[in-house]
Formats: sequence, C-alpha cells, structure tokens
Amino acid sequence: MGESGAVPPRFAPGDRVRARAGDPDGHTRLPRYARGQTGRIVALTGNWPLADDVAAHRPAPRNEPVYTVAFDARALWGEGGHEVTLDLWQSYLEPAAESAAGPAAGEEPV
Amino acid sequence: MSGTHTGNPLAARVRRLEERLIGAGLVDEAELDAVLTRFLQGASPLNGARVTARAWSDPDFRERLLADAGAALPELGLGTAGGLQAQRLGVVANTPTRHNVLVCTLCSCYPIGLLGPSPSWYKSEAYRSRVVREPRAVLAEFGLHLPEEVEITVWDSSAESRYMVLPERPPGTEGMTESELAGLVTREGLIGTASV
Amino acid sequence: MSRVNDVGGQTGFGRLEIERDEPPFSADWEARVYALNAALVRRGVYTLHEFRDAIERMPPQEYLAASYYERWLRAIETLTEGRTGGGTGGGADVRTGGGAGRG
Repeated sequence: MGESGAVPPRFAPGDRVRARAGDPDGHTRLPRYARGQTGRIVALTGNWPLADDVAAHRPAPRNEPVYTVAFDARALWGEGGHEVTLDLWQSYLEPAAESAAGPAAGEEPV
Repeated sequence: MSGTHTGNPLAARVRRLEERLIGAGLVDEAELDAVLTRFLQGASPLNGARVTARAWSDPDFRERLLADAGAALPELGLGTAGGLQAQRLGVVANTPTRHNVLVCTLCSCYPIGLLGPSPSWYKSEAYRSRVVREPRAVLAEFGLHLPEEVEITVWDSSAESRYMVLPERPPGTEGMTESELAGLVTREGLIGTASV
Repeated sequence: MSRVNDVGGQTGFGRLEIERDEPPFSADWEARVYALNAALVRRGVYTLHEFRDAIERMPPQEYLAASYYERWLRAIETLTEGRTGGGTGGGADVRTGGGAGRG
C-alpha cells in the first residue's frame, strides 16, 4: 500500500453524511443500526486498509480515510438524547442531501 | 501455564489444536508462553490510571493527550505499539456536561494495553446491544446515575481506533500526589461505566 | 445478510451480569486460545479482520450458544484448516476461501 495508494479524503469535519443503506454479503464494519442514517463528521482518523477487503483477501485492499461520525440517538432509535459515534471507512459514506431539513429538524429525507 | 484440565472436552480440543499448529511450525511453545506473560503482566488498568493522574496534574499533558494520545503516551513510557496490529488511540474527556462511554457492538474491541483484560460484561451481547440504545439505563445498572443535564456520547469502536475515557478529577483531591490520584481511578471509570 | 454478531440496538439479550474482580481467564484453556490467536496474527498466518470474519460466519445458533473463547477456538480452527493437514510445510500461501471452512 503506502501513501501513494491512499485514497484522498472526500469529507471534512462538520460535513453531513449518510451511511450506506445496503446489506453487504461479507465482513463489514458498518453496523446495521447506522445504515441509511445521517450523521456528522467529527474527525478524520487517518487512512486504513478497508476491513471488508482485507477479510475477503483482496490482493490490494483499498486504503481509505476513516472518519469518526456522530449520530443522534433520536435518528437511530426514534428516542434518546445521547449521541453514538462510529469510525467509518469512506466508502461506507455518501454526502447527505443538503436541501430539505435544516440543522434543527429531526426528520431526514429518505 | 500448561493445560491441566484433562477432563474438559474444550481443553482437550484446544490441546489438539495446539499440537497440530506446533507440529506444522506455525507457533511454538515458548512463543505462546511469552505472549501470555506479556499479556498478564503488561496489560493493566494501572496504565490508564497513570495516564489519567498525569492529565489531572499537568494541563499541558492533558492537552497533548486529547489532541494525539499516540504521541503523548511515550512521555509515560507507554505506547500504542505492541498490539496485534496498528491502531490509533483516542482519549475522550468527561466534562461537567458531557459523559463518554465505550462499547464495541460488532465484536469486543478494547484498549487492552491501557485497561487490562476486558471484563466479561463488556463482551456480552447484553451490554453491546443495549448501551448504544439506552446508555442512561445501562449506566444506572452500574450504579452511575447521571444528572439529566449531562449529555452522553457512546463510542462504538468499529475501525482501527481504540478509546479510553478520561474521567473528571474528583473534588477534594487538590492536595494529592500523582500516584495517590492514580489510585482513585478504576477500570470502569476508564470505560465510562463509573465516574472515576 | 446481516450477521449474528451485529447486535447493536437489538433487544432480547437479557440483563447485564456484572461480575466484580473476575480473573482474566476463567479456565486455563481460554488462556491457551488467547495465546494461539495472538501468535498466529503476529506471524501473519491470518489478520484480525479474517479472524473476526471467521467468528461472524459461525452459524447463528452456534455463535449464540458458544462462550467468548469458544468462538475464538472455532475461528482459529476454521482459519488454520488445510494449513497443517498433509504436511505441506510452511503453507503460508494457502488461503481459506471466503465461504470455506464452516463447521
């Protein structure tokens, strides 16, 4: 791998992102409870080989940025005042639609 | 530590596996003993307690620790190296308005070097399933009743970062030495299921 | 398909059982399993990602019935199957495929 193979970061702290909704067949580190949910990038933790690729013996695992992403409990469970953070590889994430809900709104476009 | 539980079918299965792997040259006996010795002697919550006491005593160290724990730990002779594979360490600080608690919902990720062997409850489905959903109720079962105004962040370790909670320094400890302060810190405090 | 290990937010796993002052291992064989896994990962026989994958591929009823270190034992057996069989020596290139080695 090495730095030359590192995928550049697509997101920055503060960005709203949505976790991929799909249900992969193999090993993944995106828990079911966060799939399809919108969160906020808290930090970039560096580049790390994608767990899914390593577990599947791909010859050149993608070396992706990993972000700490915070999710509101209310979005995940419909209740609760806490937040849950996950460390998620870049390919688990996509930009969240910026149009509909403002920052204070509890509902997200699906 | 050599196997002595000859009556236990699991112990017998482990011994067969061990013999097979040693026979194939994939591991050797001395190596296994060394791994266990390192684990049992080196991995301890006393390490996390020392880090905490230093952070309480030295605001500059606290700042360095929260900014980049991997760079700050060597100041205490500790490191994140020596794990099974590369990892990043994040230290998250409790404040009067924010409490942090750790979990790994997918398996059992845990900063063993700083916190010692992980407790069974941390690895249980009951803890892993519940604490992300109802942390306040789970913490109450540990005897930690947080005021309503304290917000909670649950850190679910899902990639290569491991976390340690930096508890708040208890009131009335101003005159204590660093080693006395370290004596106040518990493993549960470093996970976030106790206040200190 | 989501795997059996993915329990975050699920209900029905019962009460927390908090044992104070428990030893690191409840039996000697658990310590041996711990040491085997650490040594095999250090030697590069497999990675921690493959190890977790092997645990997750246990049939759900077996996963849920097994203790923590029983799961580890099962995963080590799965990942080293075929590496120590016919006396092929090092066997460092032998890979157990994604779906192989179950049960």
